[in-house]
Amino acid sequence: MLSKIWPFTFWKISYWQQWFRVAKSANNVAILNPRQIYIVPTRWGLLYATMLIGLLIGSINYSLSLGYYVTFLLASLGNIAMLHTWRNLLHLQIAVSNASPVFAGDTATIVLKISETKNRPRYVVAAYFNRQAEVINDIKANDVQLFDIPLTTIKRGLHSLPRLTIYTEFPLSLLHAWAVVDNPFQLLVYPKPAESIYQNNLSADADVQGSSQLTKGDDDFNGHKNYQVGDSPSRVDWKASSRGIGMYTKLYSGAGIHTLWLDWLDTTGDIETRISQLTRWIIDAHATQQTYGLRLPDTELAPNNTEAHYHQALTTLALLS
Amino acid sequence: MNRLLTPQHLKWLLVSLAVVLGTHIPNLPLWVIMASISFGTWRYLLDRYQWAMPKIWALLPITLIICVGIIVTFKGFFGRDASLSLLVVMCSLKLLETKTLRDYMLVIVLAYFLVGNLFLFNQTIATFGLSIAPLILLTATLINISFKDAGKQRDIQFTLKLAAQLLLQAVPVMLILFVLFPRIPGPLWGLPQDANSGMTGLGDSLQFGNISNLTKNSAIAFRVQFKNAVPERNQLYWRGPVLWHQEDRSWTMSSSKIGLQPEIAKVSGNPIQYTMTLEPHNRLWMLMLDLPTLIPQDARLTHDYSVVANKPVRTRLRYDAISFSSYQLGLSLGERERLLSLQINEGENPKTVQLAESWQGLSAVDKINTALKRYREQPFVYTLKPPRLDDNPVDDFLFNTKRGFCEHYATSFVYLMRAAGVPARIVTGYQGGEYNPNGNYYIVRQSDAHAWAEVWLAERGWVRVDPTAAVSPERIENGISDALDETDELPLMARPDYPWLKKAYLNWDSVNNGWNQWVLGYDDKKQLDFLKKLSGKNLNLMHMLIGMVSIIAVIMGLTTYFLVKQQKAKLNPAQRIYAQYLKQLKRAGLTPNNGETVLHFAARAADALPHQQTLIMDIAQRYNIITYSASPKPLLLEKLAQLIKQFHVNKQQ
Amino acid sequence: MQKTIQAIIHATSHIILGKEQQVKLSLTCLLAGGHLLIEDLPGMGKTTLAHTLAQVLGLGFRRTQFTSDLLPADIIGVSVFDRNTSSFQFHAGPIFTNVLLADEINRATPKTQSALLEAMEEHQVTVDGNTHLLPQPFFVIATQNPKHHIGTFALPESQLDRFLMRITLGYPDAQSERALLKNQGGRANASSIQAVCDADGLLKLQQQVHQVHVSDALLDYLQALIQYTRTQTNEGLSPRAGLGLRQCAQAWALIDGRDFVTPEDVQAVLPSVVAHRLAQDGNSNIAKQILDQVAIT
Repeated sequence: MLSKIWPFTFWKISYWQQWFRVAKSANNVAILNPRQIYIVPTRWGLLYATMLIGLLIGSINYSLSLGYYVTFLLASLGNIAMLHTWRNLLHLQIAVSNASPVFAGDTATIVLKISETKNRPRYVVAAYFNRQAEVINDIKANDVQLFDIPLTTIKRGLHSLPRLTIYTEFPLSLLHAWAVVDNPFQLLVYPKPAESIYQNNLSADADVQGSSQLTKGDDDFNGHKNYQVGDSPSRVDWKASSRGIGMYTKLYSGAGIHTLWLDWLDTTGDIETRISQLTRWIIDAHATQQTYGLRLPDTELAPNNTEAHYHQALTTLALLS
Repeated sequence: MNRLLTPQHLKWLLVSLAVVLGTHIPNLPLWVIMASISFGTWRYLLDRYQWAMPKIWALLPITLIICVGIIVTFKGFFGRDASLSLLVVMCSLKLLETKTLRDYMLVIVLAYFLVGNLFLFNQTIATFGLSIAPLILLTATLINISFKDAGKQRDIQFTLKLAAQLLLQAVPVMLILFVLFPRIPGPLWGLPQDANSGMTGLGDSLQFGNISNLTKNSAIAFRVQFKNAVPERNQLYWRGPVLWHQEDRSWTMSSSKIGLQPEIAKVSGNPIQYTMTLEPHNRLWMLMLDLPTLIPQDARLTHDYSVVANKPVRTRLRYDAISFSSYQLGLSLGERERLLSLQINEGENPKTVQLAESWQGLSAVDKINTALKRYREQPFVYTLKPPRLDDNPVDDFLFNTKRGFCEHYATSFVYLMRAAGVPARIVTGYQGGEYNPNGNYYIVRQSDAHAWAEVWLAERGWVRVDPTAAVSPERIENGISDALDETDELPLMARPDYPWLKKAYLNWDSVNNGWNQWVLGYDDKKQLDFLKKLSGKNLNLMHMLIGMVSIIAVIMGLTTYFLVKQQKAKLNPAQRIYAQYLKQLKRAGLTPNNGETVLHFAARAADALPHQQTLIMDIAQRYNIITYSASPKPLLLEKLAQLIKQFHVNKQQ
Repeated sequence: MQKTIQAIIHATSHIILGKEQQVKLSLTCLLAGGHLLIEDLPGMGKTTLAHTLAQVLGLGFRRTQFTSDLLPADIIGVSVFDRNTSSFQFHAGPIFTNVLLADEINRATPKTQSALLEAMEEHQVTVDGNTHLLPQPFFVIATQNPKHHIGTFALPESQLDRFLMRITLGYPDAQSERALLKNQGGRANASSIQAVCDADGLLKLQQQVHQVHVSDALLDYLQALIQYTRTQTNEGLSPRAGLGLRQCAQAWALIDGRDFVTPEDVQAVLPSVVAHRLAQDGNSNIAKQILDQVAIT
């Protein structure tokens, strides 16, 4: 059989999804094969069918041969539309291209890569995790189209993606063909940061020596820059300024030695609250380009200030059990 | 779900609705057309200038006015014409509150329905052709609406092409359904009264002017196909209702005939076998050649040998019949019949009665001959434009105007006979026909309508006497066009002036005849016959359904295959030559791998076929040059072809 | 022209024994106007290859050993205050040369790496708001140690894309090994060889590369290859990579003495061009997979 034809659209397709065959992904790519595509009439399709029944009854009643012709042509058109709608999804390849981690409660964007390999353009293909946030695109023949599909996150941690639904009603909007895709991709959700009022705690453990030079270091001379109000007087190149060519500040660089320790023990409340607070501190520390380390009950991250460190710290918190 | 639609969607919808409306123009009263056009224009302007949509309460009065208009025009809501007008005008009114997908879909589906309604009015080939454009446009509109992101302008050509493709792909299954879907004989319920208006044909009474009205109508009454020999033209009398009763100017079938014994007919000679295709005329008559012996199932024979159907003929009927041209009918005449066939009203037409009485003493046959001689010798003229007759019409015609048409001759003759004491009656029907060599059949039109007399003679029974033949033998021998002066108005098709036109017309009529027989006339009986011929046995409903479903499944399978099949790229000349070379190599078990380049493959092939190494490498080099270098020259191609011709693989290698 | 190219390859192969393919690829990269990343273990002749190429081509050559304490200014140069003229004087760093050998690039901090890569991309450096153009031609040969040694900063994916090619040298074959041991070839002899070309000659050769014809049929093949990486692998080739692939194929065709590109050229250069851009998931055979799967049109 080409595809399963359900006689009715039930009030909620999602209820039935547990019974449907699902397109599983191998090596991240799921190929929609004929058996995984389901098709039902849309409500316009039902309206159309009702109209056809009306035409058929009229043709019988008035013995209209050409009435039969219109009825049968339109019925056959609906049938052909079914094949076309089904074909519009057939053999599409769906892969998750990328999904950046987000904080819990934010909307993640799952970038889907839907590839057409059968030398046939596909029109009006929609994909969604949640019907309210569907993304509709055309896919050119032998091309790849990226679908940025929003997904609302609730809890921190590493979550499997919910089942993705791909559907199309092209060309006549009379039929609704869809397929459900499972992808083993796991979305990393960072903890939800606490409100920023806990920021005061930051300095409590901070080992502050300088203020404006914190990340610049002072090990090696590294050139000049124009003087700015607030630069340390000891760093001004007085020799240069004595010649009246303006004020310059000498630049030094070196590994930051001013380390901020973000410690589990400094937080209060239950586990989730503590994680939230730490998350907030990490965000703030990263935003101000400080060097920071993370101390948790059973792990410790060495201080650093790179982007990778930031993500590593957040990941550690996200996966903390 | 209730998506708003864009101006582009609206344009598509309006254009396709306009085309649907256009096809229905002949079927709608003018005010409905004007109202629909103005609603459509209004909707367009609303969109063009971004005016606010009218509120529902503003549309209510308009709806009311329309309902009243329909009631006044059609005296009610029911019936074919009224419902069509109502549908059309409501559909266009609906446009004024159409902005979401839901409204659009409703309107489009309704418009599809309207296209189907087109065939309620007529089912000619032209109407069939007319229905194609709106179907494509409506489908294109659906496609256009399916492009949800209508912000992007879609190519009109693309949309139309896709719509046409979809409809074309729908044709095979449509044909199967048309042929195999079990036809249910209609109607399922009583038809509205106006369903059969516009059918013309022979009446059940004769008044002056009745037949000459028909004569101006070139519509086809029926077509006949003879199985063997075709009778002489002057024998082609198609028998219709027989009129007995005279009342003032009109002759009717007598109401006092009930209970009369059927007349006894004796036939001799060869039977004439033929097939009639009778156009619907909404009356009971089934015309048959004089004198019918075998009649169709759903009909009966009256006592005076008219054939009447059990219900009015509202669909085209096709039936086989047998008639005999030599016969004796009603050798004995009962008392009631004698009275009925001698009935004339006292005190009318005194001159005629006086003339008839002057023939007293003559035998019945002599009386007939005397009367016919009178028609022949006195200056009677056969014309479609007879002058008006006064209160004694037979007197006025016989002694004064002497100009008339078959009905004048038939009625005056029968009147004369009855006055002279010879039982007589009028037979109406058709006479003659036009032979169509394209389809080997006769066309009989309304313009061939005719009336003649039957006179009862002892020993011989009812004998046909055609007084028109006495006046105008051409009418009987050659048809009506030869019998008339040029001043008479005849329908174009009955005139002999334009032979090429006539020829074209005959061609067209044979197409039409096929259309009528096979498309329009394809009903439950014909379906069974056809399938029986096709399969060689009787099919029941179950067989038909199983056959239909399985053939449709096969067609769907094929369609799916072609839809899903990937299209192969076309080869250029070099590739074509190279493909031949590859075929050669295949015999040696060498085929290029998927990602293998020409040169790499050549190296592999050269290893396998060492003594052809130079040739193989040369072919590969040249193929590369032709395919990839800046200016491939025809000469190179020729050289490549030569090299490849040199190349041969023996299976032994 | 062809003679020059052959002479270059011949001369270089005298020093880099048994590595003709790699020499050709490096020259291809150079002719295509891109930068080269050589990945191999220490002592495999990376530096020698770079040095020899520069010498044979008659180009200026500088070598910078990248270390974790190397600062951007150490490569690019610094503005130094000149007491005599009372103004800041730009002291050009080692980057102002034709061939820069960036040895062990993965030892430098990301900051320094990105300063170099920026200069590679822009062919200019900007210090204190003054823009200084780099000499033409400008060619970076970076080497990196593939083993995960402690204290290295792997080049981020986005930066890898800036290298047109990545090649590995690998161990020499037995014959070459013996010759090396006999003290023929190798770095010791590199200084003795004569230049067979100069900067202008190289620029002309680079222009010549653009003249090499790329037919529509070949473009179809290139597109199919690129498309395949985008649909069948996790991360597809960027348009820049696609362009690089075409240029390399053109250069390869030129070195082979043809004025049109064939699929063979594409296949020859493809592994070096795409491997470092795609092999993120540890699939080292990705180039072979692509070439085997994509049909030639």
